[in-house]
Amino acid sequence: MARVIVVTSGKGGVGKTTTSASFAAGLAQKGFKVAVIDFDVGLRNLDLIMGCERRVVYDFVNVVQGEASIKQALIKDKRVDNLFILAASQTRDKDALTQEGVGKVIEDLRADGFDYVICDSPAGIEKGAQLALFYADEAVVVTNPEVSSVRDSDRILGILQAKSKRAIEGDDPIVEHLVLTRYNPNRVQAGEMLAMEDVVELLNIKLLGVVPESEDVLQASNSGLPVILTEGVSASEAYKDIVDRFLGEDKPQRFLSVEHKSLFKKWFGK
Amino acid sequence: MSEVIALKGSVLSLSVLKVFSDDFAKVKAVLTNKVAQAPDFFKALPIVIEPEVSPLAPMFLAQLVELLHQQNMMPVGVRTADPQLIEQAEYAGLAVFEPVKVSAEKVDKADQADKSRAASSAASADTPDQGALMVKTAVRSGQQVYAKGRDLIVTAAINPGAEVVADGHIHVYGKAKGKIFAGSNGNRQARIFVQQLDAEMVCIAGLYQMAEDIKPEYKQGWVEICLQQDRLVFNLL
Repeated sequence: MARVIVVTSGKGGVGKTTTSASFAAGLAQKGFKVAVIDFDVGLRNLDLIMGCERRVVYDFVNVVQGEASIKQALIKDKRVDNLFILAASQTRDKDALTQEGVGKVIEDLRADGFDYVICDSPAGIEKGAQLALFYADEAVVVTNPEVSSVRDSDRILGILQAKSKRAIEGDDPIVEHLVLTRYNPNRVQAGEMLAMEDVVELLNIKLLGVVPESEDVLQASNSGLPVILTEGVSASEAYKDIVDRFLGEDKPQRFLSVEHKSLFKKWFGK
Repeated sequence: MSEVIALKGSVLSLSVLKVFSDDFAKVKAVLTNKVAQAPDFFKALPIVIEPEVSPLAPMFLAQLVELLHQQNMMPVGVRTADPQLIEQAEYAGLAVFEPVKVSAEKVDKADQADKSRAASSAASADTPDQGALMVKTAVRSGQQVYAKGRDLIVTAAINPGAEVVADGHIHVYGKAKGKIFAGSNGNRQARIFVQQLDAEMVCIAGLYQMAEDIKPEYKQGWVEICLQQDRLVFNLL
């Protein structure tokens, strides 16, 4: 039975799509059959970050509106087995999605034997975001260590608890996970960013992991590669930890303290 | 030492004057005629006025009170739920009685387990048996909790941008960072109890104080907020 996971945040630009791409790729690397859906109709980005933008024939809206089958629209990732992408439409807007249509797509994916369906939510709390979270069994809330992002995440958690299918039908509540991205221990120490403990205390949900702020994320995104597939960088390690913790492994949190540059690094640059 | 005064509750029987017309001339004619039939019976009789029509002209109540005095009766109060009439009655120095909803009261007594019925009668009678509204999960940004006609107990945090409202007292066993409104129906006796206060606003019966006006010493631990002479008073517990 497929688990539906929404990656959401409320605020824009905090790393939802980056997290969706890496999380989906990480789960697929573990052998699960994973589909990742871009709900940001009109502002599609996921296909760029996954590096499949030139292979989009049919998109999510086509499937929702019955113009293509789910099999026609799913794009198979070339690097990771069992990973499939359902791109958003760039030319339509969010009104093209309907609750029944989205439900049908998720049913089809379940019938196709997918283990995980990752829903990459658009920013905001309006229709697009609400559709992305409606069918969710679990939620990954992506937050930056700053006040406005935490506030918006708090808001979206309230919406998860009130407007999701599980909430409306009185089922078990959505399992909530926190991913703290763009974390910079130096700036936390300087008081320019909120500390991990403060964010976790306020949102009061389980911390899945902390992703350090790094140039590697941008570089990977620009080259169409989920950062988790980049070897030897801290952000990749962080996302691997996140996938492991999601699957039940108990790993200590990393990337929380200030990294002291060794003498060697000081002399020879990075 | 002998007792000087004693304040006790007592059930008295009062005559109720129901008014079914908003035409004062007509009311005056009928009433005068009625009193003329048995002037002794009506002499110094305490009367509660219960208008069954609305709206009434602004001067209607005052004219009626004057007429009753002329007829040697004693108007003591008005039984109504109409806010305009209540205001006029208070201005005229008359007591205000709550209208009795017979059906609701019967239901309440006969079937106290039926919560939806009890809720519908909450407006007419105080229902202490209903208890406080319990909230056990964090109240998040954008969420609003309203405990209508009762107290509110929150055993988790109230996050920034959230609002908790109660007609009665509010107790918060957690960090309160949102807005807190106690006694929202105008109950000035309502109080707020908070384990750790860092609220954006606290308000009792419409009198409020913003975060920046709350002294830091009240943000350390258990604090009680009450209303004394139109001022919010903070007490460390």
